[in-house]
Amino acid sequence: MADNNNILTLKGVHFSYNDNREILSDINFYLPKGELLGIIGPNGSGKTTLLNVISGILKPKKGEISLLNQNLNNLPIEQIAKFISVVPQDTWVTFDFKAKEVVFMGRLPYISRLKGETLEDYQISREAMKKTHSLSLSENNIQEISGGERQRVFMAKALAQTPQLLLLDEFTSHLDLNYKYEMLNLLKKALEKEGLTIISVFHDLNLASIISHRLLLLNEGKIEKIGAPQEVLTEEIIQKAYGVRPILINHPALKVPQVIM
Amino acid sequence: MNKPLTEIAGYTNWRKKLILMLLIGSLSILGVSLICLNFGVVSINPKEIISLLLGGTQDKTKNLIIWQLRAPRIVLGVITGAALSTVGGAFQGILRNPLADPYILGVSAGAALGACIGIALQHATGYLFASYLPLFAFIGAMFSLYLVYQSSKITYSANSTGLLLAGVAITFLFSALITILLAISRKELQSMVFWLMGDLSAANWKKISIITLPAMIGCLLLFFSSLDLNALSLGEEEALHLGINTGKLRIRIFLIGSIIIASVVSFTGLIGFVGLVIPHIARLLVGPDHRIMLPASAFLGGIFLILCDVLARTVIAPTEIPIGAITAIIGAPLFIYLLRRKNK
Repeated sequence: MADNNNILTLKGVHFSYNDNREILSDINFYLPKGELLGIIGPNGSGKTTLLNVISGILKPKKGEISLLNQNLNNLPIEQIAKFISVVPQDTWVTFDFKAKEVVFMGRLPYISRLKGETLEDYQISREAMKKTHSLSLSENNIQEISGGERQRVFMAKALAQTPQLLLLDEFTSHLDLNYKYEMLNLLKKALEKEGLTIISVFHDLNLASIISHRLLLLNEGKIEKIGAPQEVLTEEIIQKAYGVRPILINHPALKVPQVIM
Repeated sequence: MNKPLTEIAGYTNWRKKLILMLLIGSLSILGVSLICLNFGVVSINPKEIISLLLGGTQDKTKNLIIWQLRAPRIVLGVITGAALSTVGGAFQGILRNPLADPYILGVSAGAALGACIGIALQHATGYLFASYLPLFAFIGAMFSLYLVYQSSKITYSANSTGLLLAGVAITFLFSALITILLAISRKELQSMVFWLMGDLSAANWKKISIITLPAMIGCLLLFFSSLDLNALSLGEEEALHLGINTGKLRIRIFLIGSIIIASVVSFTGLIGFVGLVIPHIARLLVGPDHRIMLPASAFLGGIFLILCDVLARTVIAPTEIPIGAITAIIGAPLFIYLLRRKNK
């Protein structure tokens, strides 16, 4: 595939902390625009580390990451923040900010510290809250809303950042079934209508299988398999990565593999 | 501050809120200052004060008391209270720790050691260095800041835990040296104790002219980092994802804050509790947005400190109580009350 269509390319990426034990080794993949790539893998396989390397927070020890044909390591984080936004797995806010103030922080990469924000920044924030059904929470104290509500607010913040690439770290973990469903619909819309590209870490293999175009299975810091859900979620591959033998069935409506115990 | 504020797209217009707050703050400071001018050993009635302020020089002694004793003391109090509270608020933001105060990096211990050495030398050399005492304190403060920064680099590559631990260690070390100085001093003891508890009584216009500039520029620079401080309350990683270079931000805030504090405490001594409590009160009144909260802290801190100073010089007049004792006596119960209220 030509490089130009790929929003993100990783070539031979290695990462380790100071103790030199490799957390990620030889990661190679590309991500075309408009795709949702699901990252799965057992605990400690390096999923979150991979997200942090892609978002530029952690610098790889070896290898090259290019974001829109630019070397990520040469981009200052002020610039990266205009392309990539992240919804973290857990959030902890120090002071009593209102939900709408948290969403507005998504505009920070665009706001001059001397001139301040414009009307557009407010409108984009508000639009993001509408999309994530969090507008009714605007005036609430971020510390006093439920985990699921907070997750929606942080999703709104990430959308307010108007990214090209959205990184999600197990973002559905605190969501009830109805909101999980709504968020998935929201993501689908974002993919189809707004041309957003998404990488999401999933704990839930079945959810990952339903929504992802491709899955990337990490095991001990290496890519065990990358491909369509049918190619990745097979009995042998899952047993190799997770050490248990699952039963696989086909989703009756969506025709994607589902893992049951 | 219940007046309805114009909203833009569902957001409070913070600029209008800020202007309103600046207005209310300035008027309150002016009002409280005028009231505080009335308190002192010599009683001067309010009418006389107003005519003195307006330039009617009927009484030279009273003119001197108002213009050379009480007014500079109030102005120094306002600047000191404002600086301590703004820096306290910024430090709480950068450390994501509501218990941080302006002295958390050991600047206070350095300034105190410098000042105590200065006081000891004064007595030994027959007051040769008397007017250089603030310089001793400032050099002490900068020295401790340098030590804290260097030792944190050795252990934790200058992240906030490393800085805090180094700050604690240097504070203990310097406090021990101060204790030794106090133990071997005789005549100097009272001056040292007074310095350690803070004292506005030696205020004069020259001192004010020296500290105004660093305090004002410093606080303004902190104010322009407000949005970054807001983002940091979402966490270190979140702030990075929003394109904020948290490492640089931390160094900038700590350095600016510590220089402000060093220049102020060099003249006033260690006034405690203001920088810890006032930002909390400001947050309760105007919310956590640093763009509003920091200026609000400055005003509240200024008002709080001149009120404490009035108590310090009137409670058992003509004897003065160190102002640091008053701020702690009032500040500690207030702080506990606020914490209780918040955790309900």
